[in-house]
Amino acid sequence: MPSEPANTGGLPPSGVPIDDATLVQQWRWGDSAAMERLILKYQNRIYNVILKICANPDDAAELTQDTFVKIIQGIDKFAGKSSFYTWAFRIAVNVTLNYCQRNSRIALHSLDAEDYDSHPSTGAGQASPFDKFRAGPERSQRALKDFLSDNKSPDPAVVAQNKELCDIVVKSLMRLDDAQRTVIVLRDIEGMNYAQIAKVLDIELGTVRSRLSRGRSRLREILEAMSG
Amino acid sequence: MNRGDINIDELLNSYIDAELTQEQQMEVRRLIADDDQIARRLQDLQRCKMLVACLPHAQVPAGTLEQIRASLQDRTPSRQTLPFQEHRETRQFSGRRVLAAATMIALMAVSTAVIYSIFAPQGTADRSTAGTAAATRFGGKLELTTSDLTAVDAFISRVIRDNELSDRVHTAGLADRRVYSFTGGRDALTLLLSDLATIWERFGSARLIVETPKFGEQIVVDAVTAAQVAQIVKQEHWEGSIRLAKDFAVLNSMAESLPGREILAATGEKKPSLITIPKPVLTGDGKTVKNPAPAGADTKEVELTIVVRAPKVLGP
Repeated sequence: MPSEPANTGGLPPSGVPIDDATLVQQWRWGDSAAMERLILKYQNRIYNVILKICANPDDAAELTQDTFVKIIQGIDKFAGKSSFYTWAFRIAVNVTLNYCQRNSRIALHSLDAEDYDSHPSTGAGQASPFDKFRAGPERSQRALKDFLSDNKSPDPAVVAQNKELCDIVVKSLMRLDDAQRTVIVLRDIEGMNYAQIAKVLDIELGTVRSRLSRGRSRLREILEAMSG
Repeated sequence: MNRGDINIDELLNSYIDAELTQEQQMEVRRLIADDDQIARRLQDLQRCKMLVACLPHAQVPAGTLEQIRASLQDRTPSRQTLPFQEHRETRQFSGRRVLAAATMIALMAVSTAVIYSIFAPQGTADRSTAGTAAATRFGGKLELTTSDLTAVDAFISRVIRDNELSDRVHTAGLADRRVYSFTGGRDALTLLLSDLATIWERFGSARLIVETPKFGEQIVVDAVTAAQVAQIVKQEHWEGSIRLAKDFAVLNSMAESLPGREILAATGEKKPSLITIPKPVLTGDGKTVKNPAPAGADTKEVELTIVVRAPKVLGP
């Protein structure tokens, strides 16, 4: 797994990659192009992490903007003790978790409403959160069941192309608590190692291990329930 | 699953994520070879990880860099105020900690103080800081939801035009929301808020988020009224705005949760008219009255981003 991101976005016109520390230094000296290179370098990755945590593309776009504005406004406070990469993601995660906290009630209501919509004949309180997926497209359920079973060999490319299956995975992630979901997203989507996750979330390495373990275990249970 | 299994899970996850030493990896391989159940568990966890890792990688919407640039252009001067803000951090949040630990009696005391400040002569709430250093810029976000986004957007656009606020409000539209970024003087913002107050009942929810000098910390005032926003914004000093925002946050929270809404009943008022915005604007039939922003009131002392959105439905 990558310990630090590749410098794909930090390319100056010459095409020679510049590391984050140099770009930050140039930015502090007033080079706004350096700042823009850092934004271009990380915007997609930060957007992806935020999107997988909050599950709403419009909100993710807004939160990504908020994140970069905070990064730029707070660059004077960046002491360089950690890497720019973990510092930037720390801000992104804080912004997103604040948002999740503020909107937790709305999000739960939305999920409940979706469940209710799929069962108009039943009361909102009677429908299981997983019922709608049981009633969903059989093809996706079968694909999920096959994927989870020991008998079939999983093909990641097939999974990625199955939109309904991806939707189920995203919704399963949203059933985890924020802390577990964040650790899983940072690890499995962003590809951070445990030490980087610990820095981003300001928690102990052991906490990363236990959250990830419990999160994956819980995710597995949710997926199994959804596969029918 | 017992405690021992949880530790094995952690070990297996660390193995999957290549976070073990050579020695630990050999130990896991030995466990897998000796125990079918552990081997199956490892497969389960690997598949679970793979499912998440296979999710498509989304691209950030086009124009994000430009929007960040635009936000920065609006906000650049506020960076100059940071040194002033740092001195205030400790005092700003000591009250918040007290509130978090307070009992219902303490909350009632706070609400009493708020009610007093509402009915006390103007300026009383901020007397201690009046006449001191120059005002500090207020920054915040007002989040409103409405099921009638198009009509509300049309109304706000007309208010901006009629009050000649176009040069102070940057507008942007997304699929499910409209964003109005105001940067200007308090008086100009009060004009906008006083017109917004006339359609406040069309908003399903209203939340004010006030930025504080402490990086990443915000005050959230739920169920905020237009009058409360105006009251918070018009404080001459940022400290006053934050203090009032905290008070309103507590008051509104209590008003929402207490049976019978005793606080509102005690005032003998309905919530929306608890405080009025001191600007006579006739806006009957949804029409606004042309009322240009006050001359000389274009000092950029207030930044308020108003986000009006349709009720949220969580999607993938």
